Amino acid sequence: MRLSLTSLFHESPFENLQKHADMVRECAYLFKQAALKHLGGECEKFEEITDQVARLESKADGVKRNIRNHLPRGILMPVDKFQFLDYLREQDKVLDEVEEALFWLSFRPMGIPREVAADFGDLVEAVTPPIENLSDLVGMATVFFKNRTERQRTRMKSLIRDIRQHEKEADVLERELKLKIFHEIEDALAVFHLVRLVEIVGHIADHAENASDRMRAMIAR
Amino acid sequence: MDAVILSLAALVGLYMAANIGSNDLANAMGTSVGSCAITIKQAVIISIVANALGAVLAGGYVTGTISKGIIDPSLLANNPNILMIGMFASLLAAGLWVNLATYFALPVSTSQAIVGAIVGFGVLSVGAGAVAWNKIIIIVVSWITSPAVGALISGGMYSFIDRKMMSTKDPLAASQRYAPVMVFAVFLVLILSFIFKGLKNLHLNAGFVQTILLAIPISAIAGALGLWWIRRQARPECKLGPGQENFTPLDRLFAQLQVLTACYVAFAHGANDVANAVGPLAAIFSVVQTKAVALKVEVPFWMLLGGGMAVGGGLLLFGTRVMETIGKNITELTPMRGFCAQFGAATTILVCSRMGLPISTTHVLVGSVVGVGIMRGMGTLDLRILKNIALSWVVTLPFTVVLSMILYKLFIYFLL
Repeated sequence: MRLSLTSLFHESPFENLQKHADMVRECAYLFKQAALKHLGGECEKFEEITDQVARLESKADGVKRNIRNHLPRGILMPVDKFQFLDYLREQDKVLDEVEEALFWLSFRPMGIPREVAADFGDLVEAVTPPIENLSDLVGMATVFFKNRTERQRTRMKSLIRDIRQHEKEADVLERELKLKIFHEIEDALAVFHLVRLVEIVGHIADHAENASDRMRAMIAR
Repeated sequence: MDAVILSLAALVGLYMAANIGSNDLANAMGTSVGSCAITIKQAVIISIVANALGAVLAGGYVTGTISKGIIDPSLLANNPNILMIGMFASLLAAGLWVNLATYFALPVSTSQAIVGAIVGFGVLSVGAGAVAWNKIIIIVVSWITSPAVGALISGGMYSFIDRKMMSTKDPLAASQRYAPVMVFAVFLVLILSFIFKGLKNLHLNAGFVQTILLAIPISAIAGALGLWWIRRQARPECKLGPGQENFTPLDRLFAQLQVLTACYVAFAHGANDVANAVGPLAAIFSVVQTKAVALKVEVPFWMLLGGGMAVGGGLLLFGTRVMETIGKNITELTPMRGFCAQFGAATTILVCSRMGLPISTTHVLVGSVVGVGIMRGMGTLDLRILKNIALSWVVTLPFTVVLSMILYKLFIYFLL
């Protein structure tokens, strides 16, 4: 026997959103590892991690579809449904960009030119904290949308500011690296590859920031 | 023969009462269990006691409406057996409908089910002209008014708590400012409800002004105690109940207030809905005992108490597993949200009863939950279900009318 009133309550999408965010965080960790292996010339290990990321991305896509497919018309949420789906899209794009960056890294197995290797490593380091922060942000949002306390909202706003700051730092590194690439690398193919790669890595932080902006809109009073 | 009829009627009455308990009462207590304000065991005990008290102290009043309001029994004075069979058919038809609705997880009103069933047999026995159709119109209006008022009050309450307490820099400090006001409001609603509605059978005959003058100081004292209580809850050594490990002092305040309002909803349920099972039963007993149609059927104390216990028993037997599901499934039902829904329901029951509008506790509760949801207060609500719920409310009357007519015809054919 079912209870009539319970049929009104729908499964919360925040649990799956957290699952998705955790996968994004795991991917960020793997991305960093993969980039380090690539810079270190450990091709086999790099490919192994790239495969792992691809599997994780596919799994995360399943979670994303599950969230979208279970939010039909008529479902009332504590937040605007379209803002929520917008957030999910941006969070998912982080994963897509991570996967894309790893693909672009794999296109030239000879590795990153020595002149810019250290700066590329710095850029990879700079884009990972915002991704890791997204998982914490979703965790905080789950609590906030339950009790809506100002304290929790303030903590979220502070984390969103952190993400924005990290993205700014990554942007600066991205610009400096591009400049260095144009100045120090002469091979046109290498320049094209590196510039495209750096842009994709920069997009990872951009999408993390976009996601946090969507979250900011969701918690606006 | 009389003994057989009485036994059968008692069985059908018990069946109806158990159905009421397993669906209606489980709904009424469900939000409290879901938010971990109380355990299932506590919910069952509260339900049985509050429900039986509601039935005994306030049930008689409603029973009078059920037996006399829809059709005039004096029209059947020459043929008491018709009234007996009609009431039996009505009880069975309403019981079957509530059972069916429970099976499909539809929150229907047991009062409206029994009213529809009595209309069905009334149309066949005394004619459509003798049925009080104006009461049916009022019921139709209540499909909209009960949930709408519930939604308005609970949504307003949620909005107030959100703005004045949760959204402030220090919710605990704000709660110390507003907790007395909230406790005052809850006690005022409960006291007024008990005096106006609950204690009707004690014939206190208190006027509106006297009642208000009595309720305000008691509520003010409760409000002051509420302030002391919330300060005490803020201490770290405060004892927590099962499932309340993550509760903030504010959650604990709302959990306690929710228990109070849940008690009242169970009480109001006993007052309104136990009569649906024992009202027709009382009419059958009266006919068997006196061999005549009484203009006014007095429901014996033991029958009201038995009905109240049977409803509680229904909850105990069939409702506990259902409530267990709520505790696990509705994880986003916090004490604050649960309190807003329960407070909205309790206040609506009071306001609508005072205005003489027939209300269903289930309809009001559905409206209250949706009201909090509309203010973006509930976790995730599936509003598509509302279409089915509204349909079940509309179908209740015609279905029970027709089923009662069929059963009445069958019983007449076989028994007379």
